[in-house]
Amino acid sequence: MELIKGLSFQEKLHILADAAKYDVACTSSGVDRRGKEGYLGNSKACGICHSFAADGRCISLLKVLMTNHCVYDCKYCLNRVSNDTVRTAFTPQELCELTIEFYKRNYIEGLFLSSGIQKNPTYTMEKMCEALELLRTVYRFNGYIHVKAVPGAPDELITRAGYLADRMSINMELPTAESMKKLAPNKSFSTILKPMRKVTNTIASHRLAQGKSAYLERSTSNQYLSGSIFSEEQRRIAGSSRTEEAQSNLLTISQREHQKLLNRPFASAGQSTQMIIGATPETDYHLIKTTQSLYQQFDLKRVFFSAYVPLNEDRDLPSLDTKPPLLREHRLYQADWLLRYYGFQADELLSEDKPNFNEQLDPKCDWALRHLERFPIEVNTAPYEDILRIPGVGPKSAARIIQSRRFGSLDFDHLKKMGVVLKRAHYFITCSGRMMYHTPIEEKYITRQLTSVEYRENWELQHQQGYRQMSLFSDFGIQA
Amino acid sequence: MYIYTCADDFESMMTCIYDVWADKRGSQNVRLELEPIGQQEMFSTYIQIQKDEEKAGKVTASIQKKISPEAYRQVFLAAMSDAKDRLDVIYRFLLLGFACGREVTKRLADGPVMRLFELSRRTGNDMHYYREFTRFVRIEPGIYVAHIEPSCNVAVLTAAHFADRMPSEYWMIVDDKRSLAVVHPKDEDYYVTPLSIKELQNLQTIEKQRDIYTDLWKEFFETIAIKERENPRCQRTHMPLHYRKHVTEFM
Ligand code: SF4
Repeated sequence: MELIKGLSFQEKLHILADAAKYDVACTSSGVDRRGKEGYLGNSKACGICHSFAADGRCISLLKVLMTNHCVYDCKYCLNRVSNDTVRTAFTPQELCELTIEFYKRNYIEGLFLSSGIQKNPTYTMEKMCEALELLRTVYRFNGYIHVKAVPGAPDELITRAGYLADRMSINMELPTAESMKKLAPNKSFSTILKPMRKVTNTIASHRLAQGKSAYLERSTSNQYLSGSIFSEEQRRIAGSSRTEEAQSNLLTISQREHQKLLNRPFASAGQSTQMIIGATPETDYHLIKTTQSLYQQFDLKRVFFSAYVPLNEDRDLPSLDTKPPLLREHRLYQADWLLRYYGFQADELLSEDKPNFNEQLDPKCDWALRHLERFPIEVNTAPYEDILRIPGVGPKSAARIIQSRRFGSLDFDHLKKMGVVLKRAHYFITCSGRMMYHTPIEEKYITRQLTSVEYRENWELQHQQGYRQMSLFSDFGIQA
Repeated sequence: MYIYTCADDFESMMTCIYDVWADKRGSQNVRLELEPIGQQEMFSTYIQIQKDEEKAGKVTASIQKKISPEAYRQVFLAAMSDAKDRLDVIYRFLLLGFACGREVTKRLADGPVMRLFELSRRTGNDMHYYREFTRFVRIEPGIYVAHIEPSCNVAVLTAAHFADRMPSEYWMIVDDKRSLAVVHPKDEDYYVTPLSIKELQNLQTIEKQRDIYTDLWKEFFETIAIKERENPRCQRTHMPLHYRKHVTEFM
């Protein structure tokens, strides 16, 4: 339990990266920032991956903990106080030098800094801020920084971190108060949601001050979709108006202090969170409803899901030989995609009566099969929002279809070249009145066909060969 | 059939297009090829075109003005791709482009447009890959050197990204395949220079150098993977083997 002196730097890095790897967010996206002379780094809104680890997940940021020392006892966590592991911590200088040298060699896009709770939230957050400030000012680092806000830390420190970082996150981990009480006894819903609300409002108020909309930019497809979760109307129904709220519950900073932090904008790549999947009994419906309200009411940029990997033995946890529910995690990501890019609502995908996703089929196919009365869709005339609902068609290919059909009618060959995944789509469409093959629009038949299309992919997921989140791109026919 | 040929650089390609245009032989009677050309066809006439800056300038200006800057971007990217027939593809795209104006980039179902976009996408993808997978090695007193072997000619395109990313460092990206280097002095513009065999060989030895940070990176790379989720197939899909040749963590 002691901080061991005499660890080599490499061993230290090993410990602090190993303890950070279960946080799934590694994206460097959300903000475009040009480089400038005398500084190191820039940022691309699309995000840049630099490598792919043996588990197939992208490596974009140097993801480490400031320290793995922790006084809390979250049952699922490697660093919990009741575990007897070697503890160590980076000094701010060590962390800065590592980030800078990795960055210059193009290993990474930036830093993702998280931490165990050393002593208390205030002390912890102070250490993190110290490192980030050093990195931004003395080391003149202008690349991407994602920082974890420590629940329970005072507002001044969360503010400081937000002005130094591009993205902030506070992990919910568990989507109900009950599960949280059971598995993370030192945390509570309110210590998480309160700072999350303040960060949301502060981002919004900054955006308004810059003459932007209070809400973060979303995929352009949403602009053409009336029923999208991001439309004004839908947000009003969800009960939030950033524009009005942006002036209350703010994190404030003095002008002098802001200048010291180089007058940077506040968390301009937005805020994200993560939920653990499979450690507690919540249904997919619950998770996806929670996700939707986090988008609508907190304007989060991303909600991540992390298949539970058993690390500790505990009577409140699944047993140690439980396999991580990768397929379930995959389905949730697909559903999240449908909310953010395709104009779906959580309630269209699942319900109290059907609370979990079909393991055999992706949520979009599953939805289409339950709504066969809306198909086939005529590709040459249907409106954009209908085209987007065709399995095998993504926002990019949908846009290409709309753009090019004005110059002449499209056939299946055109669609294929535009990136439509015909092996999924052809059951649901006509081109100039004709289907590709003579297939019946009949639920049982199509289900059987599509299940066999998915069989191989599913088999891999279930057999622990895993997948990586980016494979969503190919599933939905989107090009990254 | 008249076959116009020219050297494999952007200006020569644009000059070639200018001359084909001026000669007015009819698009169905001409083909454009890049040198070196293979077996010559017996009943065709070969016309070799030399680079001419003025002609090339006229072509690039009118693409931007009479079609659109977007069309020009697509043409440039396609010209940097590795497709053998890229010059002819560009020519046929421009024929259509000069006929119908800025709309041309929306006519995705038209053969020449579809094909040109295929090529520009190839270059675009390579560009993106090399933003991700280019790896620099540090040599004292603080010069960062990278080696790449891209299929498409993206060293310069990629350099624009790194110039923004590291404006105040000395760095250099070496295209081993084309024997050229993009050199970026601290706080200055970068430039391209051809390399002699000797220079290239010298630079190649640098790549093998290791220091504390290459070891730390490998340590991080190994550690960050979650064993329970191991998936080499997926790793391969997103980082194909041929991109790994010069990548530190796989060396
Ligand atoms: S606060 Fe909980 S989740 Fe975070 S490091 Fe400590 S024990 Fe782990």
